[in-house]
Amino acid sequence: MRLLVFKLFYTGMAFIISTHAFGQDSISVNDSIERTKQYRSVWDSFIPKYVKLQYAGGMGFLAIGSGWDYGNKKQWESDFLIGWLPRYTGKQSQLVFTIKQNYIPWSLHINGKVILRPLHTGLYITSTMGRDYWIKEPDSYPDSYYGFSTRLRINAFIGQQLTFLFRQEKPLLAKSITCYYEISSNDLYIVSAVTNSYLQPQDYLKLSLGVKVQLL
Amino acid sequence: MKKIVLLVSFCFVLESCDLFEYSPYDGKITGERNINSKNISRIEESCEGKKVIRFAFISDTQRWYDETQACVQSINNRDDLDFVIHGGDLTDFGATNEFKWQRDILNALTIPYVALLGNHDCLANGQQVFESIFGSSNFSFLAGNMKFVCLNTNALEYDYSQAVPDYQYIENELNDSRSQYEKTVVAMHARPFSEQFNNNTSGLFQYYTKQFRGMQFCLNGHEHQLHQVDLFNDGIVYYGVSNIDKHRYYIFTITNESYNYEVVSF
Repeated sequence: MRLLVFKLFYTGMAFIISTHAFGQDSISVNDSIERTKQYRSVWDSFIPKYVKLQYAGGMGFLAIGSGWDYGNKKQWESDFLIGWLPRYTGKQSQLVFTIKQNYIPWSLHINGKVILRPLHTGLYITSTMGRDYWIKEPDSYPDSYYGFSTRLRINAFIGQQLTFLFRQEKPLLAKSITCYYEISSNDLYIVSAVTNSYLQPQDYLKLSLGVKVQLL
Repeated sequence: MKKIVLLVSFCFVLESCDLFEYSPYDGKITGERNINSKNISRIEESCEGKKVIRFAFISDTQRWYDETQACVQSINNRDDLDFVIHGGDLTDFGATNEFKWQRDILNALTIPYVALLGNHDCLANGQQVFESIFGSSNFSFLAGNMKFVCLNTNALEYDYSQAVPDYQYIENELNDSRSQYEKTVVAMHARPFSEQFNNNTSGLFQYYTKQFRGMQFCLNGHEHQLHQVDLFNDGIVYYGVSNIDKHRYYIFTITNESYNYEVVSF
């Protein structure tokens, strides 16, 4: 099923690109170059712009992934991360997949080398692999028996970033490196916290640390 | 390479700190474990030789932390109880922290308690966390001349593919020939005929439980309702306790001649 969706997506993209690129009926050399450029530029936008490594935050012990930044001031970032959750009490270690949407509205240039981003916020959904975790409860249960998913967690976070720019003249691998922290909570903890004064912020708010290496 | 080693060791140092969480289902247990077996030793010791036993029965405390705390307070205010039985559903989502939060609240009880496995406690990796913190899902203990048999009856959680209720376990308990006990009480989370129970075996369950030495009555949670029902019309009453949100629990007193119960509102 997942593979099918993936294939359909790429066939669709290829179709759009090809109709776009071959749509003009000119055959000059310049147009041919232009066409190739256009075709490449569309695919180029699919190349991830950075890699991220995040510790904790419900994404597993360590999650690694990459994503894309966009917007006028690159204030939006979309990530995909894969995390590893070691075995503590369960039967085995688990993989945790995360899709994450970040919003970073302000950038303060401290000097030529350092940028402070005082607000970093957003949402992410984690998906825990393993057959004990379901998206929708199995059919063996009466209708809406539990009414939530053990596999998917919706998380909200707020944090800050500090970016260190690398000198451009030196042929380094990366453009910049960003360190960030996030304070997050998930849907289960939030519904528990709103109805119980017993739960304190340290019970339902969790800290997470990350590093972003900007490649493009 | 050196930096990576440093980073990883830094992460391991941070791991010991509760500020960071790898998953709400990480199964990372800090604090006390094996509570049932520790408390059973306390109960068996303090009740030894007793012919009158008085205990509280609470259940379904999931995601009602404030109410559970109030209940613990109410029980602590009395000094006539021997122990507390929790009928299961300590957690709503089977998340690791929910077990820890409930454990920490219940640990404030001045008298020992034991906890049964509820259907919500089986969600995700909940059962393994339950077993680590509290103990196995079928267990029994003696209190004075009484025996308490606590059974996992959440068959639906295993899609009926495991021995729930475990009749082999029940048979072993039936064959318990120790002379110290004269009466038996059976506790469970979901009673027969509930949607959790393996109802194909309800009759068998009745047949087996009736054979316990000096069978008194059954206790159950799960229904979120107070009820006293003779489910099989055989004289064995099922006492169902409400969820903790309704601010009620049972107190049972078993004497030489008979038993009685009261409903406490707090």
